Amino acid sequence: MDLTFSKEDEDFRREFRSWLDTNLPAEMRTGAFWADKTEDESFSIRRQWEADKAAAGFAGIVWPTEYGGRGGTPTMKAIYDQEMIRANAPTTVNPLGLTFLAPTVMFLGTEEQKKTIIPELLHNKTIWCQGFSEPGAGSDLAALQMKAERQGEEYVLNGQKIWTTNAMHGDKIFTMARTGAPEGSKKHAGISMLLVDMHQKGVEARPLKQMSGASEFGEVFFTDATCPVTEVLGGEGNGWQTAMLLLSFERGSSAISQYTEFRKMWDEVAAYARETSRDGKAAAQDPVLRQQLAKSLVELECLKYHSWHVLTQTSQGKDLGFEASMTKLFWANTFRDLGDVYSDIAGQEFQLTAGARGASRQELTSMALWSRSCTIWGGSNEVQRTVIAERVLGLPR
Amino acid sequence: MRFALTDEQRDLQDAVRSYLRDRFGPQQVREVYEDPAGDAVPDKLWASIGEQGWLALMVPEQYEGFDAGLVEASVIARAFGAGTVPGPWLGTVLAAEALRLGGSPEQQAAWLPRLASGEAKGAVALIAPGNSPRPASAGAEAVQGRLTGTLNLVEYAAVADVLVVAAADGLYLVQPGEGVTVQALDALDRTSRLTTVTLTGAAGEKLAGATPEVHQQLLDRAAVLVANDLVGIARKALTDTVEYDKTRVQFGRPVGSFQAIKHHLADLVVHVTMAEHAALYAAYALDSGAQDATLAVSIAKSKAGDVARQATSDMIQYHGGIGFTWEHDAHFYFKRAKRLEYAYGDATQHRERIAALLIDAAPAEDNSLGGGTAVGGTGASQGTGVAAGVAV
Ligand SMILES: Cc1cc2nc3c(=O)[nH]c(=O)nc-3n(C[C@H](O)[C@H](O)[C@H](O)COP(=O)(O)OP(=O)(O)OC[C@H]3O[C@@H](n4cnc5c(N)ncnc54)[C@H](O)[C@@H]3O)c2cc1C
Repeated sequence: MDLTFSKEDEDFRREFRSWLDTNLPAEMRTGAFWADKTEDESFSIRRQWEADKAAAGFAGIVWPTEYGGRGGTPTMKAIYDQEMIRANAPTTVNPLGLTFLAPTVMFLGTEEQKKTIIPELLHNKTIWCQGFSEPGAGSDLAALQMKAERQGEEYVLNGQKIWTTNAMHGDKIFTMARTGAPEGSKKHAGISMLLVDMHQKGVEARPLKQMSGASEFGEVFFTDATCPVTEVLGGEGNGWQTAMLLLSFERGSSAISQYTEFRKMWDEVAAYARETSRDGKAAAQDPVLRQQLAKSLVELECLKYHSWHVLTQTSQGKDLGFEASMTKLFWANTFRDLGDVYSDIAGQEFQLTAGARGASRQELTSMALWSRSCTIWGGSNEVQRTVIAERVLGLPR
Repeated sequence: MRFALTDEQRDLQDAVRSYLRDRFGPQQVREVYEDPAGDAVPDKLWASIGEQGWLALMVPEQYEGFDAGLVEASVIARAFGAGTVPGPWLGTVLAAEALRLGGSPEQQAAWLPRLASGEAKGAVALIAPGNSPRPASAGAEAVQGRLTGTLNLVEYAAVADVLVVAAADGLYLVQPGEGVTVQALDALDRTSRLTTVTLTGAAGEKLAGATPEVHQQLLDRAAVLVANDLVGIARKALTDTVEYDKTRVQFGRPVGSFQAIKHHLADLVVHVTMAEHAALYAAYALDSGAQDATLAVSIAKSKAGDVARQATSDMIQYHGGIGFTWEHDAHFYFKRAKRLEYAYGDATQHRERIAALLIDAAPAEDNSLGGGTAVGGTGASQGTGVAAGVAV
């Protein structure tokens, strides 16, 4: 057992921390700074700041240097995640490209694709959307209907995607479409993954308003949109396999960033409980609320231990396989339950978008709302449970 | 960064597991169950435990021990939980720990080698049943080295050569003899023996170094060993249930193919895994003197208790009627888990300790935890750190 980081890792931490100290203005670390910006303003500030960070060499931490990465270790990536949250740094504007597209391109893209897609993505020259879900195909992704017909050297796309994160900011979209018919009952056949330019006449994005009031996702309509036949990732008709590979890349994720973020939230909720009155004394002294808070802390710390476990495996080059579904299911539930503990403490005041604690209460409320989506996206809880039951426990289909 | 057992610790784990597989399986456990009048110390098993050194792990080398830590002892505890192993292993190990941490060199020399080999058996009364895990009397008072009082629910006192007793003013060694009466109790979990020990002016030898801090250490170490036993039980209950539900057919298909069962067992395996992490980390935290060791102990004990309760109930439920029979092993796990769930502080008491540690006072900033204030970074307009909305 050794829970320390190596000297190289700690050197990296110091270097990155000091870069953040100099390059992340104090005001950008506060909720107030973002509160009066529109979504578009926020997006472009974040986009620029992140590009500057990439230019300073703090992007693509574990990716090879030849494609613009830093060539670091999984533990450095964990440290990077921790430091970003510790500093209240703006979150990435290119999450789908970073998490999914880049590793997939690295794995099966052509040399040409690697050399262009990855550096452009790292420097936020291209913001990528993921166009998988459709109105009739969510958990059942293979039910997708979008068509891509080959006409000469182009595909012509018709169909609709939905719940597309960053739909209003995307430059390109990696999307799944039918280039061929399903083979009998095999709906997985005949699907391809295409890399489509969103800045064209046949592509229209419309925002969808979320329960939080924000519009981080939207719909994307394709009406005779085109994409060159060279822009297929993983080969025509291999879309299903490519998608499975792509989704597997979330599996390297240790969840240390989720832990760090939720633990901060817990500390803030505990502070709120100390200041909130319940029956004439602090809510923190209420025996039942204390139990709930403590229970939430137990789960959170388990998430930390679990992320050490994942880091141990990935540092040794092991693939966690389907166990990754356990990580996702656990962090999503832990987060959601913490949101409920917070609302139990807030009580009726939960209704108020701003409260006695001003900015930080707003922050907690928006996290409690956001947590409701995390048990859905990235494979809903139910989908994860089925994967765990069949692939980890080996229960029959 | 390596959060895992070392190769040597893994070898130890393999050794104890394969011993139990070959020599002390469910059939042998059942023999103990069917002999309620017996002492629940199978001779051969106890002899082997001593020979293999499984009592000597934390004993210093100079007293014929291995100078290893709580992680190693936890490896044994976990395997013993999975095997519902009977015998005074825990009491003997804890008595030795009391001597190691609080005994004089003479007391250590007198007892440690014998406890380490299994030649002597130990028992402990470190806490009164139902109490929170804090240093306090287990029910005895000492007047000029004579102990009087009632010690409830003491495990294996009838076979112990030495008893470590928490009196109001510290810890004492008591040997069977005048002023010591042990009454056996009929208990649900027959992989242990519970007794009431009545002391009427029994001779007690004080452990001079056993300060309240040492007493607390012992309670924490006990809680960690029990937590490991509990996660051993939980994992085994889960595994056996999965195996059964793969083959039990109803409505023309294995019951394990029904989503209601699948999803429940998927949740269970997640929580069993988390409890395993917590029990391992707590042992390591005490071994390494980590800053958050006390917290880690309470996390482990509360999580392990909750999970073992769930897993052993599920084992009965997802076996159906057979799971409710005496002939099936499910009740071994259920009853052992129930005994240990409440030992050395139950889940609620440990959560209260967590609350006292972290809620009553704002924690100091600890960078490895990324503590501090949560302002900014997650506003809806800014997206959130976990906002990578992803399909499928
Ligand atoms: C904030 C957010 C961001 C998103 N971003 C993107 C994005 O960028 N790109 C993209 O392509 N998609 C995105 N999604 C979509 C997301 O992937 C889907 O919402 C998700 O896959 C669920 O599909 P659905 O909404 O159609 O729900 P459905 O599949 O209709 O599910 C409805 C309910 O039924 C349950 N269910 C479904 N199938 C089963 C089953 N076999 N057994 C048991 N229960 C079942 C589900 O768990 C759920 O509870 C995003 C979603 C959210 C909320």
